[in-house]
This record gives sequence, C-alpha cells and structure tokens, in this order.
Amino acid sequence: MSTQEPAAPLAGPRSQENPSPSSTHADPGERDVLRRRVAERLGTGTIVLPLLPQVANQVLALTSQPTVDALQLSNLIHRDPALAGQVLRIANSPAYMPSMPIVSLQQAVARLGMETVTEIVLAASLQSGTFKVPGYEGPLKRLWRHGLASGLFAKEIARLLRSNVESAFLCGLLHAVGKPALLQVVADAQRDRHRERGTVGPVPDEVLHQLLAEFHTGVGLRIATSWALPQPVVNAIAFYAAFEAAAANRREAAVACLADLFASDFDQPRPSFEPDLASQPVVGELNLYPQDLAQLLAKRATVARTVESMTL
Amino acid sequence: MTAARRCDVLVIGSGPAGQKAAIQAVKAGRTVVLIEHERAVGGACVHRGTIPSKTLRESAAQATRLARDAAIWGVPPRAGIEVSSLMARLDQVVSAHAHYMGRQIDRNGIERHHGRARFLSPDTIEMITVAGARSSFTADVIVVATGSRPRNPPEIPIDHENVLDSDSILSMLYLPASLTVLGGGVIASEYASIFAALGVKVTMIDRADRPLKFMDGELVAKFVEAFHRAGGTYIGEQAIGGVTFDGVSKVLTTLSDGRVVSSDKMLVALGRAANVDDLNLGAAGLAANARGLLAVDEHCRTANPRVYAVGDVVGPPSLAATAMEQGRRAARHALGLGEGAGSETIPIGIYTIPEMASVGLSEDEAKKRLGSALVGRARFDEVARGQISGITDGLLKLVADGTGKKLLGVHIVGEGATELVHVGQMALLGQMDVDTFVENIFNFPTLAEAYRVAALDLVQKR
Repeated sequence: MSTQEPAAPLAGPRSQENPSPSSTHADPGERDVLRRRVAERLGTGTIVLPLLPQVANQVLALTSQPTVDALQLSNLIHRDPALAGQVLRIANSPAYMPSMPIVSLQQAVARLGMETVTEIVLAASLQSGTFKVPGYEGPLKRLWRHGLASGLFAKEIARLLRSNVESAFLCGLLHAVGKPALLQVVADAQRDRHRERGTVGPVPDEVLHQLLAEFHTGVGLRIATSWALPQPVVNAIAFYAAFEAAAANRREAAVACLADLFASDFDQPRPSFEPDLASQPVVGELNLYPQDLAQLLAKRATVARTVESMTL
Repeated sequence: MTAARRCDVLVIGSGPAGQKAAIQAVKAGRTVVLIEHERAVGGACVHRGTIPSKTLRESAAQATRLARDAAIWGVPPRAGIEVSSLMARLDQVVSAHAHYMGRQIDRNGIERHHGRARFLSPDTIEMITVAGARSSFTADVIVVATGSRPRNPPEIPIDHENVLDSDSILSMLYLPASLTVLGGGVIASEYASIFAALGVKVTMIDRADRPLKFMDGELVAKFVEAFHRAGGTYIGEQAIGGVTFDGVSKVLTTLSDGRVVSSDKMLVALGRAANVDDLNLGAAGLAANARGLLAVDEHCRTANPRVYAVGDVVGPPSLAATAMEQGRRAARHALGLGEGAGSETIPIGIYTIPEMASVGLSEDEAKKRLGSALVGRARFDEVARGQISGITDGLLKLVADGTGKKLLGVHIVGEGATELVHVGQMALLGQMDVDTFVENIFNFPTLAEAYRVAALDLVQKR
C-alpha cells in the first residue's frame, strides 16, 4: 500500500481537543529540549501503540463466559481504537492468511471466527500490555474518548451524506491514532530529561498539547502503514486537518475533520460551537446546509450516550 | 432579503438535463441563471451515478479480461482487493469532468449559483446558500432538473453499513464475499454484473421473471447467461418478505416463497426518488404525482406552463443521454424554437457486463405497430474481431419491417455495444434501408462488421 504524503507540512489539528483540562506553565527552553528529544525518538525509535489494559481484562472475562457471542466481542473491541487497529493488523498478517484484506472488526469476526479473533485480541493485549503511560492515564483516556466520539460522529455524517458508515467510522476512530502512541514517546523523553536534571513531574499540559498536535499525524501514518490500513483511512489520518490538500479520499478526510470538530465540542463544550459551525470550511466542503447541520447537532445526545456506554 | 432578480430562464440543477437546458437557452440569446445545490456541477451523474459506477465497471471489465488471459500472462488476478484501489482514478475522472462542465457553463455566460432552490410563487425562486444567505430570482421560464436519489423503501433497513444503496455502495472499503442485490432495473443489473465480475458471489432478486424487462428479451437472456457464468444467481418472481441484519455479519433476506438468502452485504436498487422535497412545489401550483415524480407532457412542460421538468425528476428512462435531450428540447419548446427529430432515435446504453444497447423499435414493438417484422442476427463469434478480442458472447439484432427492407431498430449485447449502437442510430436517422449494410464496406476486422452479417441474415429471410 502506498501512502500519499501531504504536499505541504500538515497543519496542527483544527480540534480544540486537549488531553488534559488542567494547565501548568512551561519553561520555553525546556519545551524546546523536550521537543527535540521527541523528534529524535521519532526519528529512530519504533512506535508501539498502547492499549487500554482494561480491555484485555474485559476480553478475558468475556471469553470465559459460556454464553458469549461474536457480537459482544466485536462491540468490546470497538471500544478501543488501539486494540481495534491491532486486531486488524494481526488478522491481516501471514499467520492468519486471510483470503482478502480484513478491514473491519465485523469482517474479522465473520471471517476468522470468534475464537481466532479472541486469540488475536489477547495476543495484541499481551504484546502491548506493558506499554502503559504512568502519570498520563487521564489524557490517554480522553484521547480514546475523543477517537470513539469522532468515529461515532463520522458515522452520522456519512449516513447523512449517503456514504458508507463502516468506512467513516474507521476514519473517525483512527484519524488521530498517532496521539496515544506519541503520548508514550513524550513521556519517555520527559522521563529521560528528568533523569538528567534530577527533576520530577509530568509534561506541562500546554507543551503536551503542542507536541501531540505537531507530531501525531506523522506517527499516525507510520501506524497506518505498519497496520496496512485501507487507503481511505490512511488518507483520513494524513489529511483530516488539511482535507483541501488530499488528492484522493478528500471526502473521507473531510468527514474525519468534521467528526473531529464535533468530538472536540463533546470533549469540551463551547457556547460558540454551534454559531461558528456553519462558517467552518469543512461544512462548505461537505455541502452541509443549515438543516443538515441541525440534523447532525440533534445526534449529539445519542453519540454522547453511546460514548458513555462504551467508555471503560 | 433583497428584491428578486430577473432572468429569462432559471434552471435548477446542473446535471446532464439542466446543463443542456441552460446552454440551449443561453445560445438562444436569453439570460440564464443556473442554481446547483452541490458544490460542483454535474449532478448525480458525475458525482454519484454514471461516472463513478462506470469507473468501477472499467476495473471489473479489466479483471474479467485478466482472468480470461491469466494463462497467457501467468498472472492470476488477486483474490481480494480494496474497493478504493478499484476506484483509484475516480477522483481525477470526476474532477476533470466536473471542471470541464463548469468551464462550459461559464464560457457560455450562464450565471451559476451554489445553493438550494425553492419556489416562492409560480415564477419566483428563493435560493439559500450553505452559509444560510437567501436571495431570490424571477424568471419567464423555470426548468426543474433536480435529479433523483436512491429510493429507500421503508420496509428495508438501509443503514449504509450492511444494507447499502447505490450511493453508499461506492464507498465500501472492501469487496464483500457475497452480495444480495434487490431490484432488476438498470442500476441493479449494472452493479450485480460488476460485482460478479470482481469475484463477489452475487444474488439478484426481483419481482420480474427476468431483469431489464424493457430491453429485448434475447439480449437480456445473453446478459443473464453471462451473469450466471460469472457466478451470479438471478432469482425472479419473488417479493421480499423481510430484510434483517443478524447483528454479527450477515444480511438475511426472506423471499415470498420462504427461502432465506444470506449475504455479507446488500445493495438495494429498487428505483430512484425524485428530488422534489425541498422545492416547495405547492407555491408553483405543482405537486409530485403518486410516484413522487413531476408529471410532464411530451414537451417536458408541467401543469404550470412556465415550469418545465427534465431528467430523473420526471422518471424513466433516467438515462443521462435521454436527460440531455430532454433538457435541450424543453428549452427549445419554452423559447418557441423547433424541437427537431423525434425521441425514438435516442439510444439506450446499459453498462452491464457485457454491455447492452438499443435504439429504435424492438422486435415486439415493431410487430405490434406494423403487424409483422423481420429480424437479422449476428453473433460476435461469427465476426473475426470478436474471435480476436475474445468477445464471443455478443449478439447484434437488426429489426426491419415485414418486407425486411426498412430498418426499424438495432439491439446489441456484448462488449462495445454502447459504442456500436451509434452506427445503427445514424442509419435510422438517415432512414437507410437494411441493404445499406450489405452494399457498403466495413473495416475488417471490426465488430461493426456484425451489422453486415446481421443484414445478410435478414436479407435471406425476405
């Protein structure tokens, strides 16, 4: 699979999504050092996507029940974008030799069977189980919630546009998949820095937000390539923040962009969200008229309920 | 909102029908305003229908050729493939076509607006933009060319995830292992044959005993034969008892005889619904008919004499070529210009695999109108080019009057049919005898030679 590189450096995400609501002041010099360290790590290191450990526990608990069915398992995997991505990657690996690319969880469960998918889920969980981000559990959880909300909003947008919602969900769910992986990289860089200076403490929120915004697309694309994600999802990751630059799958990128905006408002509601929405370039791009936006806005409560029910 | 602006002709919709109506009117020296609710011009034809599906069809046809020639090249086709890779050229094709159409509209001096239009009165249209701004126009002539969208029967749970329509099927991520297609019309037949050619196990279900009832039965039989050879199944004379998703992976379709068909995905292609909901037709003294369409006379004029309707919004045949001609003729009639030749010479092209095309009278129609008819046939395997190109499952039929002299219709099934039919169309327009095909020379080897073979067959039956 070829990954189309953006013509120009990607702008940061349009979303106001912030990994942490609290804020501490950042030392500009330290911020630059940390930024350089993160860039160095990304230049040389291998990115491993962290999983929510609870999911692995849930899978174990679920599969130990005699009455468990494939739908329950699929739903459980859907709660965690990182796990979903890992399942897809492993399901497509030579070990399982699928007759055709497996690009959705539903397809994975249908094609491979529940037992095999369970094995994959557990294997993925074990491989990534040691990959936690101590001190950053809150931001990580908020990032997953944002991804999940984006996926659910993307489905609603796609349905309104009469586009395939399965594709849209994956685009929304994974559009910022680089952020959780990057969180670990930033935390590691900060830990090393602390070791050198004999200091302690988490990365200031402002710095963390800047680093995630600056680097997550590149990390997301690496993950997408290594997982052999479908091209529309790859392009949604690459171009959701700059859909105008997408030479292919521009609509998927725009859907992910708008889903990201809706999910950001879900994370941190702003009074100006609704009044400002119609003037967003992505609304024009998707040709959404005022009554279309009203339909989408009316879905927010449903999405919120679903996110709450699916959040671990 | 400011006072309504005036123009001679206002066209709503920039698909094939609207575009031709606008261009015809502006060429007649009238001021023309064109309102399109999508960002780009071209309508569903360019963005969701004809061009995207034909791009997918081209990939499927290539897959068919590759599979046929796999032994020659030693490269068997891949078992599974992403839909997006089959549509790789789509964005460029659509963008180029929309750009070309936009330039044509602009070059002709048509005033183009992006917004949703609705009637405020019999001669006034209000337009609302994406940003919510409103403006209005009055016009002597209003042409409604708002097109159509897939019809969603309320009893079928279209979720665009497992149960798809002809819009959402184009954005599927991957080829399903199996697909149920509901419907037996053009869209159903085209997609059924395309996905079958791509290796998907396709089951087509319809009330009719065969698909494409309006086409020549012999052509359709050839199509169904090819569809079955590609692994497809046609189940006719069945009503749909119910459609459900099993919650995990399968769409289950219960037929009226009790059978249950299971598939990974379903395509619902049970007709199209006219885009009239936003038009506020009542303000123009109009209403959609029982089928949800705008009723028109032979000049495409509605019950409001200043309002014309063309293209999908007036119903079948819902073909781009026909829509273009409707647009042109409606504008000419509205402006008091002659409408030109009759509609019997408009060809029908169906992009199934293999293609089907038709122009003029069918055998049945000819017999009904004239009491008798003679038919000449040429099978593509009788033509050298058919053998060379491996297109041996084609058939060309010439329909003539009872004397076997006067050409009345041409019907073709086989790759290249939609191009080949134009030879017959020109012969019909020129009112040529069947003998013209016998007395004149065709390039050799070509598929067009089938015209001569069919004409010879017909001459022998006189």
